[in-house]
Amino acid sequence: MKSKVIQVTGLALTIAYAAFIIWIYATEPRTFKDVANSAEVAAGTYQINQEKFAAGHSLFLREQFRAARDEWQRADPAQGDARTQFYIAYSFYREGWGRVYYDQDLFKQGLEAANRAANLASTAPLTIDDPNLNMHTVAELKAELEQGVEQSWSDVNPLKVLRTRK
Amino acid sequence: MLCGVKKKMTANNRSRNRSLLHFIVLPLLFLTVALLGGLRISADHALIFVAPPLVTFVLAVLLMLLFVRGRLLEFNRWVASDRPPLKNISHGWMLLTLFFASAQAFNSVLPERGLLHWLFSFFFLWTLWNNQFSSFNARRLLRSLTVLFGTAFVLKHMLLASLYSPDGGWLKRVAGALLQGVALGTLDAPSFAPATGYISFFTITLYVAGLLLLTFASDDEIDEAVYRNQLAVRESVLDDGASQPSIEESRERTLSD
Repeated sequence: MKSKVIQVTGLALTIAYAAFIIWIYATEPRTFKDVANSAEVAAGTYQINQEKFAAGHSLFLREQFRAARDEWQRADPAQGDARTQFYIAYSFYREGWGRVYYDQDLFKQGLEAANRAANLASTAPLTIDDPNLNMHTVAELKAELEQGVEQSWSDVNPLKVLRTRK
Repeated sequence: MLCGVKKKMTANNRSRNRSLLHFIVLPLLFLTVALLGGLRISADHALIFVAPPLVTFVLAVLLMLLFVRGRLLEFNRWVASDRPPLKNISHGWMLLTLFFASAQAFNSVLPERGLLHWLFSFFFLWTLWNNQFSSFNARRLLRSLTVLFGTAFVLKHMLLASLYSPDGGWLKRVAGALLQGVALGTLDAPSFAPATGYISFFTITLYVAGLLLLTFASDDEIDEAVYRNQLAVRESVLDDGASQPSIEESRERTLSD
């Protein structure tokens, strides 16, 4: 009987350990802090640093996009918050947007962040109620970034200069 | 009476310790090897988890075959149709952890990329393939594996680490003096923090310790069956000896005839 208890305990313990190993190889954390952050995300207890987020937001409104992104990355080191990732993507969009051409590198990075936000908000659609933004959902932002990355004949349309930044 | 109780208690303790070894200690030990085998520490002290390359799984399969040939693993002792399903599952799981530990032990001592990765892989394959056709027992196999992993460890974490050290190890200086003007571009290997070598050493030691424990691990039921079988053989030999006439008896019988 005791042997059976040991068998069941051993199986449960080692399967949990194996799952942890698979998870750690899948998430590839770079520091022990990353391990803790990833564990919090997996457990659903992860919270971003609100002060850093607010600091990033004020920088964003002053059009200091790189500084804003820096603050947001510190606020969300595990890249596990959909709202922060949405704002990061938006900052790439605004910085990369040009009346004559779009910065492809920034738009691509923006698209990656938008995809992260979309994946994180896959269960509940994310809507950002911010009057300073012209796009309030990830889908809108993603479509805008994708259009900017794609090359088409409309790129040579001279009327393009009349477009406005969202 | 007291002696009988003591014997029973000893048997119970032995059984419990073996269960702990089979179902908790060995799987945890092999899983730790699986965790640490792919762990490297970069020069800026960041953790890098290197997933096992495909070749390490091929090497692990060959090694498992070698374990069976060297009788370090006797599958019928671990998994059999006449055993309780839970025991079979637990033993199967333990063997699976051994397989992944073997793959990660190779991963730990293989250079990560470049020509050296393939050279090391080729030598491992060659050695394991040759060993398939040699006669081994568990002890010899363990010794051979310790030497194999030890050599690979010294080559990778001491010689190559020194050769590719960013601050110029002793071997780099010697190689620089000997091979002036010869580029080592094709032998490219990433440089890691010295902690990687310590982790690898711990991993290999843990793996060999696990194999040692596996050699001593035997099952109560099987032991008992083997013991009963040995006893039966001994009794039958004794019976045959008793029924057969001795040399003097036969001589006396011949003389009287």
